[in-house]
Amino acid sequence: MGKLNDLSIEFCGLTLENPVLLSSSPVSNTGEMVGRAFDAGFGGVVYKTIGKGAFEIIHPAPRMAGYDYEGKKLVGLQNVEQISDRPMEDNLKDLRYLKKNWPKKLVIASIMGFSRDEWRELAIATQDSGADMLELNFSCPHMAIEGSGMKVGQAFGLLKEYTEIVKRHATIPVMAKMTPNITDINEPAMFAKQGGADAIAAINTVSGLVGIGLDDFAPRPNVFGVGAASGYSGPAVKPIGLRCIAQMAGNPALGLPLSGIGGIETWVDVVEFLLCGASTVQITTGVIHYGYRIVEDILEGLSDYLDEKGFTSLGQIVGKALPRIVTPDRFDHARQGIASYDLDRCVGCGQCRIVCHDAGGQCLSWDKDRRRPVMDETKCLACMICSFVCPVAHPPMIAFKEVSNKPAVRPPAMG
Amino acid sequence: MEKGFTMDQAMQEAARCLLCHDAPCACGCPAGTEPDRFIRKLRLRNLKCAARVIKENNVLGGVCAVVCPTCTLCAQGCTAAGLDRPIRIGEIQRFLVEWAWQTGFSPLRALPPDGRRIAIIGAGPAGLTCAAELARAGCKAVVFERQPEPGGMLRYGIPAHRMSVEFLGRELRDVTDLGVEIRCGTPMETSADIDRLLAEEKFDALFLATGAWGSLALDVPHRDSEDVYDALSFLMLAKTAPDGFAARVKGKVVAVIGGGDSAMDAAVAARRSGALDVYLLYRRSFSEMPGDPVEKQQAIAAGIHFVILSQPTDYVIENGRLAGIKLVRTRLDAPDASGRRRPVRMAGTEHELQADLAVEALGLQPPPAADAFGLPTDAQHRIVVRDAAGNTGRSMVLAGGDAVRGSSIVARAVHDGKMAARSILEELARRTGGTAPAVIDAPADRR
Repeated sequence: MGKLNDLSIEFCGLTLENPVLLSSSPVSNTGEMVGRAFDAGFGGVVYKTIGKGAFEIIHPAPRMAGYDYEGKKLVGLQNVEQISDRPMEDNLKDLRYLKKNWPKKLVIASIMGFSRDEWRELAIATQDSGADMLELNFSCPHMAIEGSGMKVGQAFGLLKEYTEIVKRHATIPVMAKMTPNITDINEPAMFAKQGGADAIAAINTVSGLVGIGLDDFAPRPNVFGVGAASGYSGPAVKPIGLRCIAQMAGNPALGLPLSGIGGIETWVDVVEFLLCGASTVQITTGVIHYGYRIVEDILEGLSDYLDEKGFTSLGQIVGKALPRIVTPDRFDHARQGIASYDLDRCVGCGQCRIVCHDAGGQCLSWDKDRRRPVMDETKCLACMICSFVCPVAHPPMIAFKEVSNKPAVRPPAMG
Repeated sequence: MEKGFTMDQAMQEAARCLLCHDAPCACGCPAGTEPDRFIRKLRLRNLKCAARVIKENNVLGGVCAVVCPTCTLCAQGCTAAGLDRPIRIGEIQRFLVEWAWQTGFSPLRALPPDGRRIAIIGAGPAGLTCAAELARAGCKAVVFERQPEPGGMLRYGIPAHRMSVEFLGRELRDVTDLGVEIRCGTPMETSADIDRLLAEEKFDALFLATGAWGSLALDVPHRDSEDVYDALSFLMLAKTAPDGFAARVKGKVVAVIGGGDSAMDAAVAARRSGALDVYLLYRRSFSEMPGDPVEKQQAIAAGIHFVILSQPTDYVIENGRLAGIKLVRTRLDAPDASGRRRPVRMAGTEHELQADLAVEALGLQPPPAADAFGLPTDAQHRIVVRDAAGNTGRSMVLAGGDAVRGSSIVARAVHDGKMAARSILEELARRTGGTAPAVIDAPADRR
């Protein structure tokens, strides 16, 4: 890594070296692993969720399945992973090891109790082991033990109660981690706030089914003939995570620091989450796909982005998109436009013509000899689907262009 | 033979395809292949129908995928080239055909035999295609082949490094699985043979597809030596007796004369079997060589010495053995009738290349014996046909492939076989007052 700009950021009164954290998952399973992630450049960790050990945690096998699209691997990832299956004492030792050897890195202990007493005991034990913060796991969508994980995140009273218990014993900041598998993310977030939470993390995985075997009729991952609706993550869920962060950041009644999660792989994803109001981000699936090394490219990209835009700290971009995230009723319908074609760069595949004909405004005809689309601008809906399939990108060959005094286009009736 | 695509490679390549409207790749194939359809089907995980689209159009779809000069045909107009490079259509096609073989999926079905019987002379690509199409329509197709094994040029003219005997054999099984009967070692050479098949053996029609097995020879004063080969004999030796071939070329200096695909094939085959040095002598420039650009590149990679702008003027033969080749440098003058610039000898540049073996790859045409069928032929012994279907003027006798065209590509032979089969079916149907079953063209609802 070259010399980078200062990427430090404030979060719950703590100053982080940078906002990029490992999320609580297999990628933060041991002190040895997290140490290597710190050396690679991660600013902190939300350590793999620690339980008391009253119930034995056994991971199913296999525990994950990838979702591929047209040869692109891991567009999404399905998992039925449980919380840490290691003895609590081992995990506490690892927390102390990390704080001792990487004192400047943020170490957040994720905890999950299966009773009120367990929440209290876990909060005290992890705090005493040197954790800088706590993250309360109210969101794992596939816990095999009743009354835990996402079930809490969906039972807002319980969520508030457990938060209160932890807050009663914790002197360090407490963050509640939300499931997206509810109607309005602000509801559980507000309950967490009422319970005393200092920050909100979102999103945990989206409940999904990544696929069904056509021969064995079993979901993936196929755990000896059966499977379960369980946590779906990766780039495919990024839009959901981004939306949840924006909704909470746009809620003036909440007003808590946010840790953004969901399909983050590149610096661009990180910038988007910051623009929507997160001041830290957390990553798992990106690491499962590429390893800890991705943080190098994220930090370099962030540093260059600050230079390019003339910002002096990442804090300056947090929430910067929020004034522009509105409800559709606030759009200016008086202004219209068309898809504008730079035909000098066209390669002549005609995909634009196909999709305009079958899914757009039927505004393109086809010049067979020149192999080029011919547009009737009066029919263009400006839906822009032609630009989504056009292979000539960077910069796009088809771009939206405003046309003044253009009436809205409505296709004629038949007959 | 190189390995084909894996499923992952094929899917990745299909994902590169732009799935064109009005796809140019579908306009480039003489055999009527529609790559846009089978690539889209692969992309949408419709593998069975992707294989079906290939095989229903061309029973030799695997062979064509391997040997076809795609860069001058289907891939010629590929719009993906406007972004970076054309889609590797041949490799995708080969993958789909091999996928069907590996999974035991047979895309083709034949109607039950209905008593119509057709004789086909020559088990090369034209004859086999015609036979397969007729068998699919319910005819009994019997193919008479002079060689001991079927396949024609595909078996004897294409070296193993380009297509293995096993690959060809597997594709031929798709033909015989339709009920086509191939009788090897049964040459049919004269008009009397045609008479007998039609009159005595009661075949309803006959398709002549005897190919172009006559080699053009270098017109020089001295060439009488066992060390001077024509490319076809040379390649046949390599294919039928690989050990004997290797013994013949190992450690030798081989000079191949010509710039077409046969020249590349002969040169690479010699090099791969242990020839010390292989020269490829060509009287025009590199860019004018008619060989498939891919084959040319592979010949370079194989270490062939390209000697361009050099014309052989005679062999040096001592005691019946080849000692060398006399050469003269050429320069290129104005274009000749072929559109390529004409080579002109440069005086004073005469020199000699030491060589142990010479291979003449100057082109193929039907042998003079082709005139014995009693059908009209031209000066190059090509059967003259009256229409695109290959009707010869003699009732129910059609001809196609290299026997009509002279040496050409496999896809054109496939085209001829299909056209002849369609014509035969239509004529037979007309005579019985019915209509020909529409199995030759893909049904309209699949388009």
